[in-house]
Amino acid sequence: MKHLALMATTALTLSAAPLWAQEAEETQVIGISIPAATHGWAGGMNYFAQAAVERLEEVYPQLDFVLATASDPSKQVSDIEDMVATRGIDALVVLPFESEPLTGPVKAVADQGVWITVVDRGLSEPGIEDLYVAGDNPGFGRVSGEYMVSALPEGGKVVALRGIPTTIDNERVAGFEEAIAGSGIEVLGMEHGNWNRDDAFTVMQDFLSKHSQIDAVWASDDDMAVGVLAAIEAAGRSDVKFVLGGAGMKEMIARTRDSDPMVPANVTYPPSMIASAIEITALGLVSDAPVAGRFIIGSELVTPENAEQYYFPDSPF
Amino acid sequence: MTTQVTRPGQPAGPGHGINLHVLGPIVALLVLIVAGALMNPNFLSYANITNVLARSAFIGIIAVGMTFVITAGGLDLSVGSMAAFIAGLMILVMNLLVPSMGAGISVILVGMAVALGAGLLAGFLNGFLITNMRIEAFIVTLGTMGIYRSLVTWLADGGTLSLDFGLREAYGPVYYGGLLGVSWPIIVFLVVAILGEIGMRKTAFGRYCAAIGSNDQVARYSSVDVNRIRLLTYVGLGLLVGIATIMYVPRLGSASSSTGVLWELEAIAAVIIGGTMLKGGFGRVWGTVVGVLILGLIDNLLNLTDWVSPYLNGAIQGVIIVLAVILQRENRPEG
Amino acid sequence: MTAAKLSLSAVNRSFGPVQILFDVSIDLLPGEVHALIGENGAGKSTTMKIMSGYLAPSSGEVRLDGKAMVFGGSQAAESRGVVLIHQEFNLADQLTVEQNVFLGRELRRGLFLDKHAMRAQTVALLDRLHCRVDPDARVRDISNSDKQMVEIAKALGRDAQVLIMDEPTAVLTNREAEVLFEQVDRLRKEGVAILFTSHKLDEVKRISDRVTVMRDGRVVQSGPTSAMTEDAMANAMVGREMSDLFPKRVSALGQDIALRVRGLTVPRYADDVSFDLRRGEILGIAGLVGSGRTETMEGLVALRRHTGQVEIEGRPVTIRSPRDAQMQGLVYLTEDRKGRGLVLNMGMRENLTLQSLGQFAKPFLDRKAEETALDKAVRDFDIRAPSRAVRVRNLSGGNQQKLLIAKIMQTGPRIVIIDEPTRGIDIGTKQQIYDFIHRLSAQGVSVIVISSELPEVIGLADRVLVMRQGRITGGVEGPQKTEDAIVRLAMGLEARTKGEAA
Repeated sequence: MKHLALMATTALTLSAAPLWAQEAEETQVIGISIPAATHGWAGGMNYFAQAAVERLEEVYPQLDFVLATASDPSKQVSDIEDMVATRGIDALVVLPFESEPLTGPVKAVADQGVWITVVDRGLSEPGIEDLYVAGDNPGFGRVSGEYMVSALPEGGKVVALRGIPTTIDNERVAGFEEAIAGSGIEVLGMEHGNWNRDDAFTVMQDFLSKHSQIDAVWASDDDMAVGVLAAIEAAGRSDVKFVLGGAGMKEMIARTRDSDPMVPANVTYPPSMIASAIEITALGLVSDAPVAGRFIIGSELVTPENAEQYYFPDSPF
Repeated sequence: MTTQVTRPGQPAGPGHGINLHVLGPIVALLVLIVAGALMNPNFLSYANITNVLARSAFIGIIAVGMTFVITAGGLDLSVGSMAAFIAGLMILVMNLLVPSMGAGISVILVGMAVALGAGLLAGFLNGFLITNMRIEAFIVTLGTMGIYRSLVTWLADGGTLSLDFGLREAYGPVYYGGLLGVSWPIIVFLVVAILGEIGMRKTAFGRYCAAIGSNDQVARYSSVDVNRIRLLTYVGLGLLVGIATIMYVPRLGSASSSTGVLWELEAIAAVIIGGTMLKGGFGRVWGTVVGVLILGLIDNLLNLTDWVSPYLNGAIQGVIIVLAVILQRENRPEG
Repeated sequence: MTAAKLSLSAVNRSFGPVQILFDVSIDLLPGEVHALIGENGAGKSTTMKIMSGYLAPSSGEVRLDGKAMVFGGSQAAESRGVVLIHQEFNLADQLTVEQNVFLGRELRRGLFLDKHAMRAQTVALLDRLHCRVDPDARVRDISNSDKQMVEIAKALGRDAQVLIMDEPTAVLTNREAEVLFEQVDRLRKEGVAILFTSHKLDEVKRISDRVTVMRDGRVVQSGPTSAMTEDAMANAMVGREMSDLFPKRVSALGQDIALRVRGLTVPRYADDVSFDLRRGEILGIAGLVGSGRTETMEGLVALRRHTGQVEIEGRPVTIRSPRDAQMQGLVYLTEDRKGRGLVLNMGMRENLTLQSLGQFAKPFLDRKAEETALDKAVRDFDIRAPSRAVRVRNLSGGNQQKLLIAKIMQTGPRIVIIDEPTRGIDIGTKQQIYDFIHRLSAQGVSVIVISSELPEVIGLADRVLVMRQGRITGGVEGPQKTEDAIVRLAMGLEARTKGEAA
């Protein structure tokens, strides 16, 4: 687990609180609640969660795992309530669908003494979770912006596709804009492609109709990059030099590795962070290792030189 | 002698309201086109028009089938999921066949046959449950909507099914190519729309759909095989979903659980904007085509202009949909 | 002479370019029952709607207690004690009887509904009407006659000073009509002014004090009921002398059997029904409402599940769907004109050809041929419509019925079953329909007529079968064809007459 190693050396804050005074022989249950695989990144995240559960069940026979996927926040709340009521979970690993609606229910679980690990999306109220594992959204945008600055001449014209309107999207865009500020790069337009291939295709077609000169596209997500690339190819436009996606879909990483000029780079936002979170939580349950705190997984720039180490052939994403 | 007169409380004869009822959607479409042309000179360019028409074609093809279903008093919420499932199935089958048959036309033809067959079967399943099992159409198709959505997620293992790269070359022209400068999706949409319009206006089938949607008891007492006609509307819709999927897959060469999300609502919205009555009994295919174009153009216009915050795109769409329907409402003072 | 409670004075009313009422003046006196009669489309409905505030007159005045009134709407009229009871009920189907009686004027105690008081008043009102319907029953579950009673209870609950009833007895059985008349009598003594319409002239003669006859939007005659005979009323309505209502059979009946039915059973409705129908014969089916007449015939054409043997013109046939029956030349014309017979929001052309659409699809619908068929139907059946494009909803009942018959005939049937051929239509149209049935018979088409109106079955049919509780209890023909004999069979009093029934 590359990322686990990475994290263990980054931001480990020691927790002074003693862990559970548990008898190690008793079976303990870890509940995992994540959004359903409704887009590529979430699909990858689901894959890594399941893989982690399978592996950890073998490593730790004294642990039981309950995995539930939810397609909306209220379903997720029900899932969590069910886990507490019927499985008596000892720890909860949750990737909140949305921050606000999940804060109260998760707090209620925490108040019952259950260990809480929050992944990726923070709750609205600080201090509820024992462990926080997340990607770095402003950093994701910043790394993307810095790459644009380095890859484009001054005065380069860029269009950007945004995700589903959420805090994550806002943080990324803010980071991006901060990074390109003062560089002379001109953002011609930003529209929501909703992290969806078809929507991105449509939006890009219209960008191409609207602007006769586009130097590069910040697709901000590899699913959207697929749609963007198809639209550019169909329009036969040679002015677009490259498309910068994000999150490290394996097909895109492979194109970068193979030096495809249209896909020269990528920015990571690893869906495997869920596996790390589950693993650390499991470790905390079975041992006395101090694992509480915040783990922020930085977004890395993927280039043809280092692409190989970000390529996971078995992942669906 | 007795002079027969209209009953009180009803407008006497066709008044001016009827014309607006007919022209409402066209007026809305013209307003959009004029607004678009004024806002952006590229709006009326060949490339932009082709883009809008081609990407409206999937919803359009499905909406033509939906017009018949709704006219006959039914509803189908499953078409978006069905399209995703068929797309996934089609990609899976074609990828499996590439090693043995090579990445050529024959594999694509098999893929198309799979799409049409799956569409027919899925439509038949919906229709059978609704007519023979007598379950509410809303419930049946809500159920199959969930089923197909889950199936495609399962087929794709939570991720994305991608078409073999070799096949994309061969299959791509079905979306990107065309005849005499008109791309294939547009041609297919046009053909489906014309056949649909003829079917609705000129055949016994279309007349039966309207009669069943108005009052299925009257149809039954008039020796119409109500169940068979209803079943056929769903089968036809399933087949059209298959055709739409055949046009969709070559565009991005992939299917995932996010494929076709909300297509059912867009198709239903297009049908209603076009003047077909949601409760059944009256339908017009040309109106549906206009409705599809209106929806496609709104999206396009909002992307081409910076007048409104992108956050408000949905609101603009909603307002235009409601306006289009108000425009074509019949003028009935006493309800 | 008493002063009029409510009166119309020189009222005109137009809809767009079409004038419906011409110079109509009517006075309703307190304590008087006023009958308003006329053919369908004569302007009775519009007149009633103007009286009760649903419509405003284009010119002329509505006077209440001598003062000119402008009712802002039916509610304003109701609050002044003028209540119209619609022919098609104005009840909320999903609510209970009690909730309907108090709909819009619920009694309250503080913030809450005073259920106790409403219950007591509802029960009292229903008792006054001798109506035994459960106040808690949902309106959708009660019979038409009970709905009528609930409507009247609702009006009485509102302290009606002027009660206007649109064909109140059309859906009532004789016994229920009697109860209604008792109430009308009582209300008359209390000084309520009552106006009602009816197609049943005997009824008009019996309970009204004054009759106003309308024709083509004008009042053609008005006077004390005692001064008019039923014949005179009918003549005034139609504007011509009524010849004998029922035509005489001119040709002798043959002996060929057109339809032979043996052991027809429709679960829950008909039990082992057998009969023969001769070529060109008009066979009446009588019986009380609920005796299974309609369901038996619906079973025969496979509109309901059924068992039994059927032979048509000597050949055994299997009828699995109405279409099968139609292919064998056997068609059924429903009693429920609006609910099952015609698509009300479609035009005449679409309705006319719906049942025989195959003839017009070659493979595309031949609009011209359809128009030609409509021309012919309009001529043959004397269908009167304001325009060809009119929706069937806007035709009068009589013209709807003629269109429905034309639609059935479009299939070229050899055997026609007509259920309640003249329900709710005026005397002139009735006569046309009787003539038509006789013409069919003369052409060798066999006709089965189901009717609740005894004079109709007796006058029309060569032979009458009587049903009771899903079985044929007997048949009468020739001189035995009397109301008395039929009623006895229908009530199950005796089965002394033997027909061809098994």
